[in-house]
Amino acid sequence: MTDKLLVLNDLRKNFGAIEALKGISFSIGKGEVVALLGDNGAGKSTLVKIISGGQQPTSGSMLFEGAEYQAKTPAEAKAAGIETVYQDLSLCTNVDVVGNFFMGREICRKIAGIPFLNERAMEDITSKALASAGTRIPSMRTKVEHLSGGQRQAIELNRFVHWGGKLVLLDEPFAALGVEQTRRGLDMIRHVADQGIGVIIITHIMQQAFQVADRIVVIRHGVVAGDVESSKTSPDAVIQMITGQSLSGAGPEGR
Amino acid sequence: MTPRTRKTLEFVLDNLVWFMLIFVLAIFSALIPNYFQPGIFVNIIEASSVLGVMSIGLALVIITGHMDLSVESVAALSAMAVGILFCSAGIGLGITFSPEWLMIPVSLLVACTIGALIGLFNGFLIVKLKMSAFIITLASFIWVRGIVLAVSGGRSAQDLAPAIRWFAIERFLGIPLSAWIAITCFLVFSILIAKTPFGRHLVMIGGNETATFRAGIRVTRNLIIAFMIAGAIAGLAGWLLAVRTSGATANLGVGLLFNAFAAVVIGGVSLKGGVSALPGVYAGVLLLSSINTAINLMGLPANYTQVIHGLLVLAAVLLDTFKQRLRQRLA
Repeated sequence: MTDKLLVLNDLRKNFGAIEALKGISFSIGKGEVVALLGDNGAGKSTLVKIISGGQQPTSGSMLFEGAEYQAKTPAEAKAAGIETVYQDLSLCTNVDVVGNFFMGREICRKIAGIPFLNERAMEDITSKALASAGTRIPSMRTKVEHLSGGQRQAIELNRFVHWGGKLVLLDEPFAALGVEQTRRGLDMIRHVADQGIGVIIITHIMQQAFQVADRIVVIRHGVVAGDVESSKTSPDAVIQMITGQSLSGAGPEGR
Repeated sequence: MTPRTRKTLEFVLDNLVWFMLIFVLAIFSALIPNYFQPGIFVNIIEASSVLGVMSIGLALVIITGHMDLSVESVAALSAMAVGILFCSAGIGLGITFSPEWLMIPVSLLVACTIGALIGLFNGFLIVKLKMSAFIITLASFIWVRGIVLAVSGGRSAQDLAPAIRWFAIERFLGIPLSAWIAITCFLVFSILIAKTPFGRHLVMIGGNETATFRAGIRVTRNLIIAFMIAGAIAGLAGWLLAVRTSGATANLGVGLLFNAFAAVVIGGVSLKGGVSALPGVYAGVLLLSSINTAINLMGLPANYTQVIHGLLVLAAVLLDTFKQRLRQRLA
């Protein structure tokens, strides 16, 4: 195995009386792609939010690159090198493509000590990044509200590929993509992982998980129900882990 | 539709309020005797300075998707503070400095600091404690006006120190300096919103607050600063009010809030946030001001002003909806 990039140790998260996560422990190495599977309400999105700084765990600890890690805000997670692509897209539709691509990372030029946006430099980088990924968007100055769902998702995906970091979290990134774009998206993930970046991808589609992931981690009712290398398991076995051993005994109701 | 006509159409849509202003001015000039003369136009610009400055602050907060109803009362409190400190008659204390020009920065500082502090208070409650901007600033609207009434005891301050008063009298290119202050503010804040990362972040927060938070933008800090700036600018508006009226009364500026809202909406800033159109807001202010002037010149009872302003706001909202439909068809 490669070096451990992120180690989760007994993470728990309560929302009032509801236990969303009941002790999650697994790890991911550099350049490894982990697919996170689980039924609706299993706690996948909560886990992603905790890693990316959107929420704090009730208890438990994380090690990132061997050091104690806990992000209080997404900004801290980003500073540590953790990028996230969320299920509900994180784009400001009232701003153009360039503005979104550089959200929170604007290139500035200081005039008399006051930072001014360097629009031309940002536009060049954005159009290059999008073109190299094969995304066709008519104008970098179009407001995102005028773009299709697929184009929007492409912007998000290209954003994380461009900014890279050390670990990327993808929460159902292909929900709005067509067949061809999804294939390209999966290629992108492999490409990113080959650079030594760890990737955690949440998906509902078994085929995608087996296509791209080195390892499959299944979460069920807030605990890890399975952690296997994708080459040593089969879709049927994973489905059994997701639903519980047999369909009739799917466990107690709850989240 | 060729790209060319589309571009023209987009341009017209983006600057619709300016075309409306020109149209209205042309109609008034043609139909109302004595309307078309430089003095009238200077008057329109001069009369719009206080409202204009106040609208900037309001627009800034509305762009982020929030609301500040307290700007009018904040302006009144700042005006009253300047009045009490630097007026020589009424309840004025008549404080003077030597050299006299020192009174200008000191009075400005007092007015803007009062505004910024109230803005900080509003912003803290709204952003940190996640309370409704509408209720918090409505409360401020009431209690700040209450302080104005309390400290003045309902009386007024007159005869502002000539050194400060100078701004209302002295002219540059035929336009009073007080109006230049408003114009400068519009320029500065238009650039701030369009060209700096801070302004860009405010617009994005207005568009999708969650996304900006996830992108690592310091949303809380930026929003509180926006509220503070709105307060400080309202303070500046109050200072202008005191300068223009050469003093302060307890009911100074009553009703300005609604005009400011009207100007912001007419200017094309969406109340839902995320749309920046500060130059348009200035055009909106000028539009309101030119209509007021027309009403005065025609000798209509001033009571009709409110009716017309109300209808204008209605028309602006309708126009905004229409514009959005048209834009969707364009895209």
